Amino acid sequence: MSGITLQNITKRFKTETAVDDVSLSIQDGEFVVILGASGSGKTTILRIIAGLEVQTTGHVFIGDVLVDDYEPRDRNIAMVFQSYALYPHLSAYDNIAFGLRVRRIPREDDPDRDRHLTHQEIDGKVRGVSQMLGIAEMLQKRPSELSGGQRQRVALARAIVRDPEAFLLDEPLSNLDAKIRSNARIELKRLHQRLRQTFVFVTHDQTEAMTLGDRLAIVNHGRLLQCDTPERTLSHPLNQFVASFVGSPEMVFLEGNVESTGGGFTFVKGPVRIPVRGTGSPGAVTIGLRPWDIRVEKASTPGTLSGRVTGVERLGSSDQLFLDVASPPGASPTTPAAPVSLRALVRAYDFDVGDGVFVGFDPDRALFFNAEGGRLESMSISSPLP
Amino acid sequence: MKPRRRRRWTRWAKRIASHVVLIIACIFAVFPIYFIVVTSLSTLPIAGITAHVLLPNPSQLTLSSYNTVLLHESPSYLSLLENSLIFSGSAAAIGLLLAAFTGFALSKFNFPGRRTFVYFILLISLFPSVVMIIPFYLMFAKLGLIDSYIGLIIPYSAGAVVFSGILVKNYMDSIPDDIEEAALIDGMSRTEAFFRVMIPLCLPVLGLAAFLAFMGPYTDYAYAHVFLTSSDKWTLALGLYNINSSDTGTQNYGLVTSFAIVMSLPIVAFYMVFQRYIIGGLTLGAVRG
Amino acid sequence: MADLRDQTLGFRLRHEWPAYLYLLPTVAVLLVLNAYPIAYCIYISMTDFGTGGRGSLLSYHYIGITNYQFALTTGASTSLALVENSFLWAGGSVVLFLLIGLGLASVLNQPLRGRAIYRTVILLPWAFPAFITLLVWTNMWGYEYGIINSMLNLVGIPSVNWLLSTPTAAWSALFITNIWLSFPFYTVVFLATMQAIPKDLYEAASIDGAGTFSQFRRITLPYLAPTVIFVGLMGFLFTFNNFYPIYLITNGGPGISTQIFITESYNDAFGAHGATPLFSTAAMYSVLDFLIIVCLTLVVIWRTDLTRNWLK
Repeated sequence: MSGITLQNITKRFKTETAVDDVSLSIQDGEFVVILGASGSGKTTILRIIAGLEVQTTGHVFIGDVLVDDYEPRDRNIAMVFQSYALYPHLSAYDNIAFGLRVRRIPREDDPDRDRHLTHQEIDGKVRGVSQMLGIAEMLQKRPSELSGGQRQRVALARAIVRDPEAFLLDEPLSNLDAKIRSNARIELKRLHQRLRQTFVFVTHDQTEAMTLGDRLAIVNHGRLLQCDTPERTLSHPLNQFVASFVGSPEMVFLEGNVESTGGGFTFVKGPVRIPVRGTGSPGAVTIGLRPWDIRVEKASTPGTLSGRVTGVERLGSSDQLFLDVASPPGASPTTPAAPVSLRALVRAYDFDVGDGVFVGFDPDRALFFNAEGGRLESMSISSPLP
Repeated sequence: MKPRRRRRWTRWAKRIASHVVLIIACIFAVFPIYFIVVTSLSTLPIAGITAHVLLPNPSQLTLSSYNTVLLHESPSYLSLLENSLIFSGSAAAIGLLLAAFTGFALSKFNFPGRRTFVYFILLISLFPSVVMIIPFYLMFAKLGLIDSYIGLIIPYSAGAVVFSGILVKNYMDSIPDDIEEAALIDGMSRTEAFFRVMIPLCLPVLGLAAFLAFMGPYTDYAYAHVFLTSSDKWTLALGLYNINSSDTGTQNYGLVTSFAIVMSLPIVAFYMVFQRYIIGGLTLGAVRG
Repeated sequence: MADLRDQTLGFRLRHEWPAYLYLLPTVAVLLVLNAYPIAYCIYISMTDFGTGGRGSLLSYHYIGITNYQFALTTGASTSLALVENSFLWAGGSVVLFLLIGLGLASVLNQPLRGRAIYRTVILLPWAFPAFITLLVWTNMWGYEYGIINSMLNLVGIPSVNWLLSTPTAAWSALFITNIWLSFPFYTVVFLATMQAIPKDLYEAASIDGAGTFSQFRRITLPYLAPTVIFVGLMGFLFTFNNFYPIYLITNGGPGISTQIFITESYNDAFGAHGATPLFSTAAMYSVLDFLIIVCLTLVVIWRTDLTRNWLK
């Protein structure tokens, strides 16, 4: 097993750029999730690592070996496809054994020559992996006779049995029912902890990404936007896209303007006015807030804005409230403006549609972005709300 | 507007009309086959056959025509069958090999010139195969290949390439690229993947292609009539045609129809067993949603 | 692999070249055994091979487009008849195929008792090799002893000399035989297409108040249209050059009233009666046939996406 390094990988088609100058270093034994929407180029990156697709420019290293000119079969990587791509004409056993039968290993007595694995060797490996994945009982069945979850295990077994340098997984959980998917997620994580091998996992599902990945590589329009631990991508997104893509429910964005007021600056969005601190000049700024960082109270406290619940989404253990926030109590806005919409995550069944509420938030948690979506690290909310 | 009530009698009338139409269609479909079967089991002269066909007389049923056709005709049925199998078998084998390669290249590669190639084979396939006999005959006459096995196997093999190639390609298109890619990842070259994964997966359509490539020569008269002059190389189709011509003299349908049945039997049996594959394979390109 | 479609020429060449190896045997066969004979055939059509009376395998002369000029002037009436007959043969057959196929398919598409049996029986003719059943049909159409005339006599209709008296009788025999050969295929294709129409469309339509006829017109027909057009055009191209029915049943008779290009060509070259083989004339008719078919195919490609499947 070994790490994988991508150096300035670009994949250009005639009309579009699918992967745009991506560099990524994956450590030996690391579980990296490539997260992006469909069409973001994430699968293309995986296929370039596998050698199924050839990059236009840039280099791929597996371990320390430059593999740009290697055929897929010479890269010694395993891949689990979204469709599982099991051979329909072979039994589960033969599917798992297939790669072993093709493979040649150096001979013990003469390392310059190679040989096929023996029947016993293949059988031992196939049975071992099948035991581990709990599919030992269904080895004689054809893929069409297996359930989705079983097929997924066979596909995993086919990958594991080869003892590859790295595992590439292309949305392997997306064809599973919601019920078994969360289970499969946990098992996959355990499997990684047990094997301690390099996993590269592609998905569009951020829950999968958060639970599985040691690090997330977030991709959009072929560009690698950020590669960080799940916690860091959540708390320190490098830009507005990452901030909105990671975290559920999605981050709330307030698009407003920073105006000079007296000695300092104030963020203005409709009736909402928030004093801000930090370098910066007047202009368009977006404030991002996690729904769970927005406090909703029934009674007014200092620094809260008054608002009204316009909708409730019951999520089970918590509710997501849709709020319209007007001016702070007592303040009389010089110009009447449309209320600002927010979302907040609160304990279930505390509020209902139509309730009048007071809304506040932790100044330290607010993130600032410029008009291009870039993070404004230096800006923050200066004090509790007026 | 008053709600319409479901009227029983119109539904009945519709149902009965449907059955009538279908029964007529079935009689039309079956009658010639029935005619072949019944006349093959009799030795009645042509003039008296109608009454027997419409109301078969069990005492007149006999297998003697089969006996004559199989054992007492010249050239013998076995010799005709052997020749047919040589021609059809070779054509099917060669055609199949070419079709598998062509289908794979057209389905799973995007080589420069692919579009040109497809138009090229489309154009070539439009030249009516029957009239290709003219250039073949003249070419092979010069080469001294007339009335030889190889001289007829060659045009037969050429005949099926385009159609079977397209048939295989359409089928391979329905196999996801994933499967082949999984084989590449599993350690195979594309050639290995072709032989060890694609070919086994395409067995149904390859069987169909082989069947069609076999059928062409098996029932060909136009080429064989021109190319095979000595009767020891005659095929079943020539034998059948010959019996049909001489039957007009003997005023007896029994021989030609029993020959027709024996000759059709393997084809009909194959067809019955693999009906679903054949219809599915042939309508793959035709049925569009 | 398919994802490389948008790549540049050089890139595709570097990664897709093995395709040429796979195509090599086929290309060799196509060039040597198809393209070359076709070219040779075109050449023969421009010689006096057989027509000059001194044509032998070794001695014939290039005479340019003389044969074609002859076909358009002195031989114009024959050429015109061949064109008319070929189009009547293909067009008439296809219209009948489509009507009967659509009709039977829509009857079979209802929930009827015994549907599977009807379907199996209707498919029977298709299981038999056409060449074999055509020979039997020839006998059935016989004037004196043919079973069709015998059965007509039973119901009081006098015998018709189907194959030798009038063009109408000969064409009727040809069309009926051809229908028998082909209607199973058309019925099954249309039935399969009809069964692929989502049932909830009909349910939605009936809730919206559409009657049987209106459902057929607004749902079934639009769904079927692509298949009908495609199958019809392919059927036309196929029938245009369908040799055996005419060769075996009427062999172009009476006179040349049912002669089409391909039978005329075959008979000119290899006709019985011990006549001199008219290879150049035969080649010319086959080239004309080819040209017509190519033009028709261009129309088909232009009107439909015939090559969509092939080029995808």
